[in-house]
Amino acid sequence: MTEQEVFDKIAGLIEDHFQTPADKITNDLNFKKDLDADSIDTVEFVLELEDTFGAEIPDEDAEHIDTVGDAVQYVLNHQKK
Amino acid sequence: MKIAVDAMGGDHAPEVVIQGVERARNELPESVTFTLYGDETKIRPLIQDDTRLTIVHTTEKVESTDEPVRAIRRKKQASMVLAAQAVKSGEADAVISLGSTGALLAAGLFIVGRIPGIDRPGLAPTLPTVDGKGFIMLDVGANAENRAVQLVQYAVMGNFYAHDLRGLEKPRVALLNNGSEANKGDDLHQETYKLLEATPGINFIGNVEADSLLQGAADVVVTDGFTGNATLKAIEGTAKTILRLVKHAIMDSGVKGKLGGLLLKGGIKEIAKTFDVSSYGGAVLLGLRAPVVKAHGNADADTVYYTVKQVAAMVENQTVQKSVAYFDAHQPD
Repeated sequence: MTEQEVFDKIAGLIEDHFQTPADKITNDLNFKKDLDADSIDTVEFVLELEDTFGAEIPDEDAEHIDTVGDAVQYVLNHQKK
Repeated sequence: MKIAVDAMGGDHAPEVVIQGVERARNELPESVTFTLYGDETKIRPLIQDDTRLTIVHTTEKVESTDEPVRAIRRKKQASMVLAAQAVKSGEADAVISLGSTGALLAAGLFIVGRIPGIDRPGLAPTLPTVDGKGFIMLDVGANAENRAVQLVQYAVMGNFYAHDLRGLEKPRVALLNNGSEANKGDDLHQETYKLLEATPGINFIGNVEADSLLQGAADVVVTDGFTGNATLKAIEGTAKTILRLVKHAIMDSGVKGKLGGLLLKGGIKEIAKTFDVSSYGGAVLLGLRAPVVKAHGNADADTVYYTVKQVAAMVENQTVQKSVAYFDAHQPD
């Protein structure tokens, strides 16, 4: 999957989950600061990432996903070759 | 209607679960069916009649010592997780479990999912009152802290629940506070009071204090999770302590005391009956897309029976859908 494809999928999840307009979703968008995500939103989003990309994200890694860009890079780095 | 049952949760599972489900099944319409999730080798021998019962075999289960969120994420074949998944996928309409409250809350939040617009679902048990009618209190501990708007959501959901399950036309909704006047309490409670006064569709009667709860001061008592949990524990602890003191007073006071105790036996039994909470079923997690109900870990078959009937009534009355429609029509600006 290319970076753009991963970004598009994640943007789709964010659009659905946080009701964020597509044009506001950039790599710099911060879940807590910009989307007002609380601990429940964060876990829900990580679970959606796991379901979408078919991988398990350990809690230690999930803690470091602060922005859309972090999520995209995480998925790219853990893609099955 | 299909009810998903976590057959392995609780101290006396699966025995009490199967007994309670079978008894409820015998009384409920034929349209109500059950899926039991758990170890078939343990469940099958306990079933007397498998009409309208399906078993989904799994040996994995959530333990009370498991960290809740981790358990529901990693134990994907656990009986509680499979039961919640059945609701998510639309195979079942509701979930019942006697297992870990934290794990069931996590399964409710992250598998069944929240009603759009509800930030924090609340745990709502029905507690006894002296007139035997009982009252609903929420949140009693699903959250450590709440915002005013969340307490208003509890009031609305509690209102529908009391209407549908307790048959009250206009349930009296009150805010648990440290005084009855409108200006009592901290910022959270003062703000909540104002919002509740302006909330359409509920019969808000003002503040109530904790000492009047068991006297039936309100039908729906709204509180933040921290206060609600402390209040619930205080009620449970006081009741247990008084019963123990009465027992000791009778047993330690010689023949005369025992004779007095014997004479009072009928009356004491009546009190026990008034405060027997098994007929109130389990605590509901209000704010989720489907009924998720937690019965006490040490519940008996009677409690399971009432919990099943309670869940069936919620599905039948579309109690959750009423909240969904309300919040859809009353979205914040």
